[in-house]
Amino acid sequence: MSIPREAYQTLQSIVGPEWVSDDPAICEADRYCSLSSPSDEQRRPGCSIEPASTEEVQAIVKVANRYKIPYVCTSTFYSAGTYARKDDSILIDLKRMNEIEIDEKNLYAIVGPGVAFSALQADLLKRGLITFVPGCGGNSSVLANTVNMGDAPIGWRYGLGYQRLLGVEWVLPDGEMLKMGSLSMSDDYFWGEGPGPDLRGLLRGCAGHQSRLGIVTKIGVKIFPFVSEELEPMGWAFHSFMKLPPNRFKWYNIRFYSREDAINAMFEIGRSEIGLVVMTVPPIFRSVARTRGVGCGGFWEAWKENGPKIKPNQEDLRVLLYGIGSDKRLEYEEKVLLDIVKDFGGSPREAPCRDETNFMAADAICANVVGGRFSSEVSYESINQAVRYSRVVNEITEKYKPRILEDYGTTNWVCPYELGYIAKMECLRMSSVENRDALDKWHDDVHKFCATGGGSTIFPEDEIFGPVWGNYPEKEAKIRALFDPNHVSAPQ
Amino acid sequence: MLKVEEYKHQAETCVRCSYCKFVDLNWVKSSRFSRQCPIDTRYRFNLYSAHGLLHSALAELSGKLEFTPKLMDALWHCTLCGGCDTKCKRNLDVEVLQVIETLRCRCVEQGKGPLPEHKMLADNVKSSHNIYGADPKERLNWLPPDIKPAKKADILYFVGDPMSYRWPELAQATAKILGKAGAKFMVLEDEWSSGHELFATGQLAPAKEMADHNTKAIKDSGAKTVITSDAECYKTLKVDYPKIMEKSTEDMPYTVLHITEYIDQLMQDGKFKFNRRVPMKVTYHDPCNLGRLAEPWYHWEPKYEPPNIAVGKTWRRGEKGVYEPPRNILKGIRGLELIEMERIWDNAWCCGYGGGVGTAFPDFALWTAGERIEEAITTGAEAIVSSCPHCKDILGRAADANNTGIKVYDITEVMLRAIR
Amino acid sequence: MQIKQALTKIVGAENVSDDPEALLSYSKDCSLSTPRAPNYVARPKNTDEVQKVVKLANESRIPVVPCSSGIHFYGNTIPNLGGIMLDLGRMNRILEFDLYNKMVRVEPGVTWGQLQSEAPKHKMMGLGPLLPHPLKSVLTSHLEREPMLIPKFEYAGSMVTIEAVLPDGEVFRTGSACVPGFPDKSLAEGVNPGGPGYLSYNWLLQGAQGTMGVVTWAKVKLAPRPKIDKTFFIPFEQLEDAAQLVYNVQRRMIGEECLILNSVNLAAILTKKWPQDYDNLRRILAPWTVILVSGGGWRRPEERIEYEEDGLREAANELHIPELPTSLPSLPGIERDLPGMLRNAWPEKKTYWKFASQGACQDVFFYTTLNRASEFVSVMSQVAAENGYCIDDIGFYVQPMEYGRSCHFECNFPYNPGNPDDVAMIYNLHAEAAEAAIDMGGYFSRPYGVVADMVYDRAASYTTALKKVKQLFDPNNIMSPGRLCF
Repeated sequence: MSIPREAYQTLQSIVGPEWVSDDPAICEADRYCSLSSPSDEQRRPGCSIEPASTEEVQAIVKVANRYKIPYVCTSTFYSAGTYARKDDSILIDLKRMNEIEIDEKNLYAIVGPGVAFSALQADLLKRGLITFVPGCGGNSSVLANTVNMGDAPIGWRYGLGYQRLLGVEWVLPDGEMLKMGSLSMSDDYFWGEGPGPDLRGLLRGCAGHQSRLGIVTKIGVKIFPFVSEELEPMGWAFHSFMKLPPNRFKWYNIRFYSREDAINAMFEIGRSEIGLVVMTVPPIFRSVARTRGVGCGGFWEAWKENGPKIKPNQEDLRVLLYGIGSDKRLEYEEKVLLDIVKDFGGSPREAPCRDETNFMAADAICANVVGGRFSSEVSYESINQAVRYSRVVNEITEKYKPRILEDYGTTNWVCPYELGYIAKMECLRMSSVENRDALDKWHDDVHKFCATGGGSTIFPEDEIFGPVWGNYPEKEAKIRALFDPNHVSAPQ
Repeated sequence: MLKVEEYKHQAETCVRCSYCKFVDLNWVKSSRFSRQCPIDTRYRFNLYSAHGLLHSALAELSGKLEFTPKLMDALWHCTLCGGCDTKCKRNLDVEVLQVIETLRCRCVEQGKGPLPEHKMLADNVKSSHNIYGADPKERLNWLPPDIKPAKKADILYFVGDPMSYRWPELAQATAKILGKAGAKFMVLEDEWSSGHELFATGQLAPAKEMADHNTKAIKDSGAKTVITSDAECYKTLKVDYPKIMEKSTEDMPYTVLHITEYIDQLMQDGKFKFNRRVPMKVTYHDPCNLGRLAEPWYHWEPKYEPPNIAVGKTWRRGEKGVYEPPRNILKGIRGLELIEMERIWDNAWCCGYGGGVGTAFPDFALWTAGERIEEAITTGAEAIVSSCPHCKDILGRAADANNTGIKVYDITEVMLRAIR
Repeated sequence: MQIKQALTKIVGAENVSDDPEALLSYSKDCSLSTPRAPNYVARPKNTDEVQKVVKLANESRIPVVPCSSGIHFYGNTIPNLGGIMLDLGRMNRILEFDLYNKMVRVEPGVTWGQLQSEAPKHKMMGLGPLLPHPLKSVLTSHLEREPMLIPKFEYAGSMVTIEAVLPDGEVFRTGSACVPGFPDKSLAEGVNPGGPGYLSYNWLLQGAQGTMGVVTWAKVKLAPRPKIDKTFFIPFEQLEDAAQLVYNVQRRMIGEECLILNSVNLAAILTKKWPQDYDNLRRILAPWTVILVSGGGWRRPEERIEYEEDGLREAANELHIPELPTSLPSLPGIERDLPGMLRNAWPEKKTYWKFASQGACQDVFFYTTLNRASEFVSVMSQVAAENGYCIDDIGFYVQPMEYGRSCHFECNFPYNPGNPDDVAMIYNLHAEAAEAAIDMGGYFSRPYGVVADMVYDRAASYTTALKKVKQLFDPNNIMSPGRLCF
């Protein structure tokens, strides 16, 4: 079995022979998506193709429909779930579509799927503007991340990733074009919704379809005002950071001796509308982040030493104060923060005025370096829910020890957005390679609770969540059948 | 060359995050110059990247993949610049470069590689102990009458094939600088090729011959310090020789210094000063072989404790390369203004020549160099300075090919101009 | 008769009517849409009753048109094809003030008058449009994505989760409100708008003008009410200059309410004694006024206002604006009163500000970017003049959105509804102005009435996809048929 010859020749004529290949090595290198463990579910594509334009994507998708060949797309390849599940699929790699246009005045950028966050961010910072760099890192695609997830700690100030989509150019599963928002009526990407009912609702919900509903080829994405001062990079790659201008930023680490106080302080910081980043700092995340440059051995050495010192009810908040526009504003924010900390009995400690992971890079990948296997649960709901859900997750974890490695009762990460209107809860658990099953079962248990007890996970499994969450898989199946009559867009 | 178990372990640790393709993200200063890997930037398929090659290594090892035409193409287009390696060690600590080098060795072992152009290098070395196949008797022809190396000295100047045969003016500049600095130095009567490109192209047997010969010759010379101004020779003597001998750099019978390290140390000690103004705005190109690839080698027999703790290993993450000395020298020259490019230090963009690419794929090497020239031009500098003859050569050709007007110098040429 | 009986069974006889007189009031609104009465009106009191009515309509293939409150401006509740008018006015409970999450959950009948008088008791305020009619539904404003006065991005996406009865009668909750047991027997607090699953039903239901389902409650954001305020009224001769100041201010992320009004609209809003004050104000007010409210927030309010004022001064200095007035001529105390006005519905006892000058008003509104706003003023004025409308009577309102990313641009054409010639002229003017705006790239994200046809004719790919989705959710096209492109 392979891609039919005639179809392959047509693909060659669309993009030129240089940009399509069925060489087994090319295809094998496109087989496994990032982060997930290689498995048989991930199939070697029949060919890989790299279009340079929307027109080429459309033509490829039409060929796939004509010959009923499954296809799946990827871009910067730092992807979650976009791999071929069927033999002889066409892997459409969009990384050549990497144009960036920035409308400085009206705060939006137009990007193709091949644009990585770091590239856009660098161009923006020079202009006193900013975009989000998600936890997975600046090496991910702006477009793919925005249509899939799109959150980062600066969302405390700049909102939920999901709201950043503006005009969208979307090649539907059958190759037809759908333009959304202001783009539906003109060449302008500046506004996202409608006209009328907002079909961006087809594109993503709690997360995106990961190539299962056609290919988004260009989006307008919101960008935000930021300080005009330079964030100067420093240090070697394994330990690099950006120096923050001290008249615009100040980090505080604040220790609270009761979780309730920490959470109430967080609410109050939100009501007071200060800060660029506000989040809890769970010891396990902090230790993982510090793994950079010390390797797996360094992590375990530190974790074994620091883990037992964790006090279960102790909670650390990390707050980045934000003096955009004036020194006085930073002073104001500091005074307000310290008032709040005092009111809730915390101990503040100023931290170095630099940033390692919020503006350009991120450190989620570090979790891999600690070795063995890890699993995480991510849920988006209120700050209160995050705390309560987190408690349940910890109780479930206890049942799986010692096969799940000792977490010393570490707290989980609570990272609120939009000044506290919504919060992310993320927990991280590790096991040795041999005990991977325990980790999988733990995750299943967590999700079983989540489905009925009030979690709000980001990637629900249809079979667990579907029956209790409004039968959403049925609705999605109908939408897919409607737009993908040949069942070729990343079929499962 | 990694042993099979370690090779597999390292390749398996890759999670395909693509960090290897970018300049360290905190250091990205523009979308235009945000990429790190030349083959990825030019050819775009994932196979053309560390991530693709590591994955191919696993597939080849398990028998799922052969050395197909595209795998050969990607593998031999890689300049082994090591940008991917230092980026991976931010997050994952995979020995990316060693896996790629081992994949090349396996390709050679199976008789699929290297490319004919690379085989010719081995043939030349075999017949005449230099990569050009030139007459070994002409090796010292670069020495003008006014430079007379010592018969016996603590310092040995290792010239290398490129400067001995192709760019004698750079060897002469080096010798003159040493002379002006008051360094008594000798040269080997029977210097052989460093074997740099043989190591890079997985031709380990002839490479080992070179290593053995030169090591013995150095040892026999009685010199304790080897100075070179060729970054490739520097890295080969410092890293590849101990590596193939399963030793650490510190266990070698000599210490290698790049000319910039030597002069910089004299300057720090107040024993040397540049005494002529060189009014020029320059930018500095870190050669991969003097920068991130030039860290000392630490021999390590793989040993792990669960979950993945490498017991007793000393890591090479790129920070111990020679970055400051050339900069200190340029800053120490009156009238000369140093303006940095966006991609510097462990994030430097490769000149395109390395890894046997200049030999086998000159057009791609020129393209890669063209990217660097473009980056240099954005700084507003009149000239780009490097510390490696092949960097100078390929960058110069790229500058000329595009009529950019930017000048390209080896650092020894600049240093010489700054000495009365 | 069968339908009436069935409706009676569901909502009770006192809440059903087919009396022509009762139906007449639903046949028209403040727009110029062609009147059409429904066949029945049903007034359910809860989701269960709504569900039953919708099921009945779907099974009987009879149109059903929801309406939520007592005032409508754009014709979107007029039953174009008759059918059942689903009057949700009885569902007027504020279900919860969720103060931790700074949100409120409201039924469709909750009015702005109701919410904005309740919210201050909790030190909160609703994020409303400009001086909404007191009878206007809070839920509808959010559902229809009406622009809010505060351009801070943190407040964007103001509708968080909703409960809707879909056209087939299914009761469906969006986002994290879908979790079983919400709101009382679950950890979920209904603040995550995404999903459930990989679609966003919130988005599909928003801007739908009742064509995709009947929303029975929604959880929407509130904002902390600042303790003190300082209001600036910065006068401009040219809109371009006013827009530039707004860019400068928003780039500094300062201020609460921020908007630009021309003298006609500002006079209409601030006039106390008609008509003498109105004429006088129009004469003395600057052609354009940027209104910026600096809010003291929750803590250390004076200090906050101080740095905001510094920022505003810096922004103004860049444009060589010498003064930042905190008052308006002949309106003593307005700086004190205005923030409160803006955080409230229009007073019930006063004629609505848009209607006060001539008795009625037609609006043309769309999105554009601030740097283009003045082009639209010229063109709208030109179209008005061509139609014989006095251009001095046009009200303009420019609402910066999301730190100045774009703006809601609104032209208000007051007219005399008692004069048939005026009505005919306004009818044409409205259509021509919309057409001209579309031609220039004005974006009508919520097109009503005749504008919908203009928009969907142009947005070909969107229209095709939208029709497919509608067909899926409402195969019998019972929900507000004839609206949008359905």
